[in-house]
Amino acid sequence: MFAEFKHTVRRLRGQMIGWSVGLGLYGLMMVSLFDSIVNIEGFEELMASYPPELLSFFGDSILAITTPKGYIDVYYFLYMPLIIGIFAINVGANLLVGDEEKGMLDLIMAHPVSRMALFWGRWLGFATATAVILFISWLTWVIPSGSVGLDLTWLEILRPFIPLYAILLFWGGLALLFSFFLPSARAASMTTAALLVGNFLLDGLANANDDLKAVTEYMPLHFFQGGQAITEINVNWLIGLLAAALAFSILAWLRFQRRDIRVGGEGGWSLPLLRRPSA
Amino acid sequence: MSEQIALMAKGLTKSYGKVVALRGVDLQVRRGEIFGFLGPNGAGKTTTIRCLLDLIRPDGGDVQVLGLDPQVDPVAVRAQVGYLPGELSMEDNLKVEGQLRYYNDLRGNKIDWERVRQLARRLDLDLRRSIKNLSKGNKQKVGIVQALMHRPQLLLMDEPTSGLDPLMQQEVYRLLREARDDGATVFFSSHIISEVDALADRVAIIRQGVIVEEAEPQQLVQLALRRMQVRFKEAVDPTPLAAVPGITMLSQSNGMMAHLQVEGEMDGLIKALAAFPVSDFETERPSLEEIFLAYYEAEKEGN
Repeated sequence: MFAEFKHTVRRLRGQMIGWSVGLGLYGLMMVSLFDSIVNIEGFEELMASYPPELLSFFGDSILAITTPKGYIDVYYFLYMPLIIGIFAINVGANLLVGDEEKGMLDLIMAHPVSRMALFWGRWLGFATATAVILFISWLTWVIPSGSVGLDLTWLEILRPFIPLYAILLFWGGLALLFSFFLPSARAASMTTAALLVGNFLLDGLANANDDLKAVTEYMPLHFFQGGQAITEINVNWLIGLLAAALAFSILAWLRFQRRDIRVGGEGGWSLPLLRRPSA
Repeated sequence: MSEQIALMAKGLTKSYGKVVALRGVDLQVRRGEIFGFLGPNGAGKTTTIRCLLDLIRPDGGDVQVLGLDPQVDPVAVRAQVGYLPGELSMEDNLKVEGQLRYYNDLRGNKIDWERVRQLARRLDLDLRRSIKNLSKGNKQKVGIVQALMHRPQLLLMDEPTSGLDPLMQQEVYRLLREARDDGATVFFSSHIISEVDALADRVAIIRQGVIVEEAEPQQLVQLALRRMQVRFKEAVDPTPLAAVPGITMLSQSNGMMAHLQVEGEMDGLIKALAAFPVSDFETERPSLEEIFLAYYEAEKEGN
């Protein structure tokens, strides 16, 4: 298992560096802007002048944007599940099926490594890579926070990263599960991403429409606290998200244990109506 | 008995949806032999090999590899097997050495790296080159090195010389013979008859998911249909020859010459010819290629 874990982390190092640098720079920029933004004269009035429907999309935090908690929530945690979710979904969907489609899994699995070790070694590599990206992102908020008056302790900044990690494992696990049932890693990525974006939009709209709340309260992002976790983590929600992520991963593993390893390109689906007519 | 069998498949069946790939493959490969698995594309060669490694699960039948059931103990089987897939694909962003070290990691870092260097030298493979810059032939060499580097007891090789130039093909034949001489069993698939003829101690021909023949290459040649032309000193009525079991009269010319088709041993025909004034006869001995093509033609006619 360790060999696969090491290999997965090594393969993901480029993505880890890219995402860490990107999110790190964004974090540093937003922290450094905190002081300037909250001190803009009339900023709160400006925010209040926006249509209530638009403001409600961003939830309650938008009204508290000049506070450290509201600021970090609006400028980071509100949409980070969507942004880093792209990484989690892409890695999850390609974790094993990507190699299968390229025809590399055949040879890897001809070595003395069990399907269990292969699966969980890679899963741990994905979980570690995600944790490293979030850790570096956390550092870029923590280190300069004191110097710009972002009055939050390292622990307060850390807390919302924990549910963020859980929701990323959730979407990554779902993409991984889909990759074993849908015809390709790309189809699994697209389906999971569509669910994530749909959930994100509905979640925002539900703040303005009570009818939608009945639907969104069963959706995963409803259980993602975001910046609200700065003061206290909702442990039940966190456990729920982690349990769902684990359940998806276990189902994917069970499927992987039993399924045939496809030769590249084999076993794809095609819609009869979209088939190119033969010459 | 089972200790002498490296590989056994009995009644192996496998379908991909509506496509039946294997219709009951029966196969026995003895330890220490080079066994050629011959068949046209799509006959079921690769599917059989992938079943042996538990990469795919057969729908029915039994498989034993080195006395183990690959579905029950796949890791133990793979630890003793070196595999070369037909479609070799590796990580483009690694160098050859990095790729081989990854495979070594998967084998628990037990490989003597000097062995890897030695194999690479013999195959003229540069370990420092990037996989993405390798030609198909050089990638094939990486595949051969990784299959041989841990001195496996069983080599499963799907088209081992695919993409290699003739000189390198000969080197691969030498490596496989050396592996056999060291006690390994070599099971390789091919559709190149000359390769099977040159290398295999025994051969099986698979057609439409069924083994249609299994024998030593020379036995196959002897068992095959052959044609015979007999010239007589004087005009005779050769029709009694057609009554000999296994003999078919193809044509005759004014009683001076007869074209016959012989199936199986020649003994009956030779004895029957003793009653005729024979001036000369010629037999055409078929090559393994002709035998293979005969099976292949039968398949096409069957379709």
